Amino acid sequence: MTLLANNENPLFVHGVSWMVLLIVVIQAVVVFGALMISVMLMIWFERKVISDMQSRIGPNRAGPFGIMQTLADGIKLFFKEDLQPEQADRFVFKLAPYLTIIPAFLAFAIVPLGGEVTLGGHRFYLQLANPPMGILFLLAMSAIGVYGTMLAGWASGSKYPLLGSVRASAQLISYEAAIGMTVVMVVLVTGSLTTHDIVVAQATHLWQWNVIRLAVVPFVIFFIAVIAETNRPPFDLVEAEQELVGGFVTEYSSIRFALFFLAEFMNTITMSAITVTLFFGGPDGPVPHLGGFWSHLLWIVPLLWFLGKTIAFLFAFVWLRGALPRLRYDQLMDLGWRRLIPLSLGWLLIVAGFITGGWWGTGLTAAVVVSAGLIWRAAIVGARREDTQAILTPVGRRLWRRPGGSLPQAGDEGSGDGADEVVGGLDARGGAI
Amino acid sequence: MDAYLPILILLILGLLFAALSFVASTFLAPKKKPTAAKIAPYECGIVPEVEPPSRFPVRFYLVAMIFIIFDIEVVFLYPWAVIFRQLGSFGLVEVVVFAAVVFVAFLFLISNGAFSWGPVVRLTPGVPARTSSSTIARISGRPGGPVTAAGVPVSTGTPGQAA
Repeated sequence: MTLLANNENPLFVHGVSWMVLLIVVIQAVVVFGALMISVMLMIWFERKVISDMQSRIGPNRAGPFGIMQTLADGIKLFFKEDLQPEQADRFVFKLAPYLTIIPAFLAFAIVPLGGEVTLGGHRFYLQLANPPMGILFLLAMSAIGVYGTMLAGWASGSKYPLLGSVRASAQLISYEAAIGMTVVMVVLVTGSLTTHDIVVAQATHLWQWNVIRLAVVPFVIFFIAVIAETNRPPFDLVEAEQELVGGFVTEYSSIRFALFFLAEFMNTITMSAITVTLFFGGPDGPVPHLGGFWSHLLWIVPLLWFLGKTIAFLFAFVWLRGALPRLRYDQLMDLGWRRLIPLSLGWLLIVAGFITGGWWGTGLTAAVVVSAGLIWRAAIVGARREDTQAILTPVGRRLWRRPGGSLPQAGDEGSGDGADEVVGGLDARGGAI
Repeated sequence: MDAYLPILILLILGLLFAALSFVASTFLAPKKKPTAAKIAPYECGIVPEVEPPSRFPVRFYLVAMIFIIFDIEVVFLYPWAVIFRQLGSFGLVEVVVFAAVVFVAFLFLISNGAFSWGPVVRLTPGVPARTSSSTIARISGRPGGPVTAAGVPVSTGTPGQAA
């Protein structure tokens, strides 16, 4: 099986010796430390950029340009009371931050950071792990992360967290399908699941980057879905503070609260890195010809390319937060289910068709256009059905059949404040949540 | 299994970090016994009287069930995508048939309004739909607001206007 041989990390070719173990541990510690520091810098970066966009100054007291502000905030949280609400399910309440933070740590392991390095006779990739399951590992970790969010809200025994977590679960699973299907397209053109192979397949030429090979659309779908998956604005309905206080983290304080936010920013960084890996060639980029002493530093150039691209996407995340208002819940579900998922499925078939042959591709493109028309028609039928079978609460039906048709006034016989009851009927239908 | 060794080490590091931060928080955090108001469920200062709801709009369950259809489809697509070039046109035809089956189910769901999460635009059959402009017209008492089946404009019904 040549496929498996390619997947192997050259570090493990001669088995696991103490030296190899040492290299792995050093790699893990470096990745761990880099992740923590980059989260710290990311929070500072976000606050600074948002401040600039809103004509404010932002944090500027702790350290130069306020760069230590995040550290100060983090240390402050250690000194805060660790409260547990009396209604909480104690075990699950304590477990939920772990369930959120651990997958956030692990997901970064499969990101290829740079090319190959030789150290002490051992050749290895600048990538913590390159398991055969590859990109599936990322999907698995983000799926486990949903449990953390869901259980945190459920275990708090309070209303706002519960509403936040119900919203979150529906939102996360809605966009997971779109993410899954766009990743399938990348796997389709690469023919391998491992992130290393995905990056290698995009190397050397700009037009081999998947964003161009797959004609931009999958990248756009993936990026929108990723923003929704990380609960970033404009998809931050989970913690919409104007309506849900703090969403699923309302009842959390002290270090548990800190872990949730650490996980959120870590996911943002990981997802930017994964976007770069899947669609923008990962560490690929022109390497200058370095001679003499400088040739020892050649390995650092791909790393710099990777960092530059990732920071560009992190800026895009912050930019979208600064520029766009939050979506309404029905708009969120509509975008996910009626637009992104059919579009990604159709694009997948077109890509598969053109890989097989030009005529297959043309035929499938026509079929997808016809299908889009069918969806449009189905949406109209759905809307009409909703009109003719308008769901009426008993109160509403009674109101409309009153002689003269006026709404009952306060103090009228029977129904009390009719207008409020109609609104209550709308809520029961799910429009308000 | 060697390939998973680094992930295991990262898992241990992550667990250590989380555990150590809890230990540090235990030592550093104030040890006062919290008051009853502090550990009550947070409701913006109002004393909670009603238990958190145990029932949800059925749409959330519906979304969970529809998600299973698409997730299973994605699960089948991964192995197919890896060996797509070996399968050739046979693999393509197979997945087109598979996608068509899922697509028919999807059309059925849409035409039944399974993904319509929007607010109710029509309370009863036969009256004009509610829109932003009709609501503004109704609130401000201007013409253009909703009418009943008998053609009489609907009053706002606020106590202030009734007096």
